[in-house]
Amino acid sequence: MNKRTTMTALIGVVLAILPLLVGSKYYQHMLVIWGLYAVYALSLNVVIGYLGELNFGHAAFFGIGAYTSAILTTRYGVPVVSGPLFAALVTGLIGAVVGYLSLRSTGPQFAILTLSFGSILFTIVNYWVDFTRGPMGITNIPPFSLPFLKIDFTQARNMYYVVLVAVAITAYGCFALMRGHSGRAFIAVRENPQLAASLGINIFQTKLLGFIGAAALAGAAGSLYAHYLSVITPDMMGLQGVAAVIIMVIIGGKGTIVGPMIGALVYVCLLEVLRATGPLRMVSFGALMTLCVIFLPGGLISIWRRHMNETRLAEAGNTTVEHP
Amino acid sequence: MPLPLDLKGATLDFILLGQQLANGIANGMGYVLIAVGLTLVFGVLRIVNFAHGAFYMLGGYFTYFAVQSFGVHYLLAVAIAAFLAGMCGLIANQFFFRPLRKEHEFIILLSSLGLSILLTNGSELLFGADPKYIESGFADATLDIGPVTVTQQRLLIFVLATMALAFVYWFIRRTRYGKMMQATAQHPEGAALTGINTNFVHAYTFVLACALAGLSGALVGPTAMMFPTVGDWAVLKGFTVVVIGGLGSISGACIGGLLLGIAEALGGGYISQGFAEAIGYVLIVVVLIWRPQGMFGISRGHKS
Repeated sequence: MNKRTTMTALIGVVLAILPLLVGSKYYQHMLVIWGLYAVYALSLNVVIGYLGELNFGHAAFFGIGAYTSAILTTRYGVPVVSGPLFAALVTGLIGAVVGYLSLRSTGPQFAILTLSFGSILFTIVNYWVDFTRGPMGITNIPPFSLPFLKIDFTQARNMYYVVLVAVAITAYGCFALMRGHSGRAFIAVRENPQLAASLGINIFQTKLLGFIGAAALAGAAGSLYAHYLSVITPDMMGLQGVAAVIIMVIIGGKGTIVGPMIGALVYVCLLEVLRATGPLRMVSFGALMTLCVIFLPGGLISIWRRHMNETRLAEAGNTTVEHP
Repeated sequence: MPLPLDLKGATLDFILLGQQLANGIANGMGYVLIAVGLTLVFGVLRIVNFAHGAFYMLGGYFTYFAVQSFGVHYLLAVAIAAFLAGMCGLIANQFFFRPLRKEHEFIILLSSLGLSILLTNGSELLFGADPKYIESGFADATLDIGPVTVTQQRLLIFVLATMALAFVYWFIRRTRYGKMMQATAQHPEGAALTGINTNFVHAYTFVLACALAGLSGALVGPTAMMFPTVGDWAVLKGFTVVVIGGLGSISGACIGGLLLGIAEALGGGYISQGFAEAIGYVLIVVVLIWRPQGMFGISRGHKS
């Protein structure tokens, strides 16, 4: 555990000074996007990794969060700092309804159901032009701000620290969750629902709790995203958006905390690197993703794990019996 | 004088209703073809294929190129498109699904998602993003059935789709291959023990499903535009139908598809076009509150 704490602290320090090391605004911008996606991917990871259900409607919560915050701050004069809270509240409520209706099924049916609910929310946002401005999107969303402090959060470097705090809180939240009673209930429900039920765990309630939490977190991430980019369109809720966040979680490694964060990094970097290939960008992206899924089902994190296991085995082999 | 006018209004309403129903049934048949393929693949292979809509899109493009570039007659082009879509399905199964047979269902779902991204963006690269219009020669010609006027294209969709569905029914119920499919769907290991080559069954089920999707694209194409992302639309419609009808049920897919087509036509005709987009989702919610497994679905068996 001690080794793990040092590692975490080290990564934290590196992440904190990273924008000072990279001078260019372009890289700082990418770091902010990474952080936002990391929170977003971690929220989906609660459903995919911990509850073990494939949620195809998660992009809708991210989008609704962004829209809630954008509409409240641009039209109703709500202070920007409370945007993420309102966003989390609204997406949490919608998540409760969607979760209540779709968690009664499991497996592929759940995946299709959440996809349908995601499409319902997308259709509403896309067609309710009077309220959401439809496909035109919302522009001129005020940047993030803190009361009493005059910090310019349009600067990527400043925004990065806000986002980094959000990532840290989320990561620690996931860690604490998995240490606690609820997290263990999640795993029990994922691994063996019948056994979990026999131990007095209410399966439906446990799943619903996780689902609502994930939705609220995605909403908060969406709110920060809207205030950073200042422009949002319904596209972020479409099928491409759903595919993107699922890719992050799976490529990184579902069911872990570092995995989705790595996945978000890979996603952001890969799309930038592949920009050079022009029209081939999405094709090569799809191909890479499929290859990754076929040859590395456990995600990138599984390479590290395999390596750790091998060294551990080797160490054990050296200290104890040579060839048992 | 007012009385006859009212009566005339009533008949007009009735004709309008008939018109909407006829259009709804034709569109619904297109959905049925997509959904039957989806539900077959799920029933036999236990795969939820996200790339299914891409085969609809491919069917449309194959028809377009056969008609436009090679000057083939539209009806022959439809057959070619369905065949080629089926062959693409065979290749897809071989490379994207067969290697993953033993993996968790997540992985297979994601592989299909990757295939969908690959096919959609690959088509955009090859065929361009601009919408293509398939010239069928039937789309502008109309036919009067009593007071209701239908385009010949819609009639053609109905007739050919019905023939295809009859073929599927005959194939599954009456032929050796169909019975092998049923056995594999019921119990894969048991089927393998009796000497059925389940890999072969999986392959031709996939071909059949993709050919049906391709046929749907080829038939529905001339009533709308073809563009690379049309597959996303198609797969969403397919899923909507499958959820309403029940995953794995062919009769559910048929009834669900017609229901969706008619509901959309009536919703679009009497309420608003925007509402027509959403009505499928309203149907989903209503059906699910009533029966979580869909109208004809059986509750999920063992988790593989």
